[in-house]
Amino acid sequence: MIGSLVVVVLVVTAVLAIYGIAITIANRPPGRALRIAVGATVALLAVQAVIAAIRVFSGVTLEETSTFLIYLVVSVLVLPIALQFATAADEDEGPTRWGGLVVAVAAVATAVAVLRLQGLWAAGGV
Amino acid sequence: MSDQVSGPRATRSGPGRVLIAVYAIFALSATARAVVQIATKFDQAPLAYLLSALAGVVYIVATFALARGIRPLAWGAVGFELLGVLAVGTFTLVAAGDFPDDTVWSIYGRGYGFVPLVLPLVGLWWLRHTRPR
Repeated sequence: MIGSLVVVVLVVTAVLAIYGIAITIANRPPGRALRIAVGATVALLAVQAVIAAIRVFSGVTLEETSTFLIYLVVSVLVLPIALQFATAADEDEGPTRWGGLVVAVAAVATAVAVLRLQGLWAAGGV
Repeated sequence: MSDQVSGPRATRSGPGRVLIAVYAIFALSATARAVVQIATKFDQAPLAYLLSALAGVVYIVATFALARGIRPLAWGAVGFELLGVLAVGTFTLVAAGDFPDDTVWSIYGRGYGFVPLVLPLVGLWWLRHTRPR
């Protein structure tokens, strides 16, 4: 993990969460702007995951490597899945204002996962 | 007022999506955590890890039932979840020593910002709010 990248990721996920909440408050369905915002955030998370994975597999030893790797995968996957769910159309209804809040929840969960990753990294880095 | 739509409101409609998203996240995190705990250090705290696994299964069932709109199953899963968090929360508060490792429901879900305590209440309210009438 890279300390400065973690900070950037946390700020970006926080901004995404606020943006999602704003969409719900503004009573708008999730649109193209939200997709782009999620895409950019996920790209950043993927970069972080690749760097961390390379460092783990090239010799950095951690106390709980398997947990760390699971969190790493989760940190990248939660937002794309949530976006899919947030924008999906049902038989009952199309995308609704609540899609923004779904993405916001996922952004907060992702931030928690990143914090856990940082904790595991700091505890086990030799 | 003049709700022309016949039949019950789907449990996944509107804010229901947000509820299901939160349930899905807890299903994922509780289950993954329990699997890792049981696979790597089951001997340390078998009861706590089995409870973690049980919690994970309950969240999975609740997520599935809410997403599919299977009401009886959703009532059962969310109700069990409330009993579970209250029982485990109280037990860990009174007899902390018997729980060397945290579960999702320890101290009413303190390790998860008490969301595990609030979630079943919101879930039950939502099921009641969307019930067929």
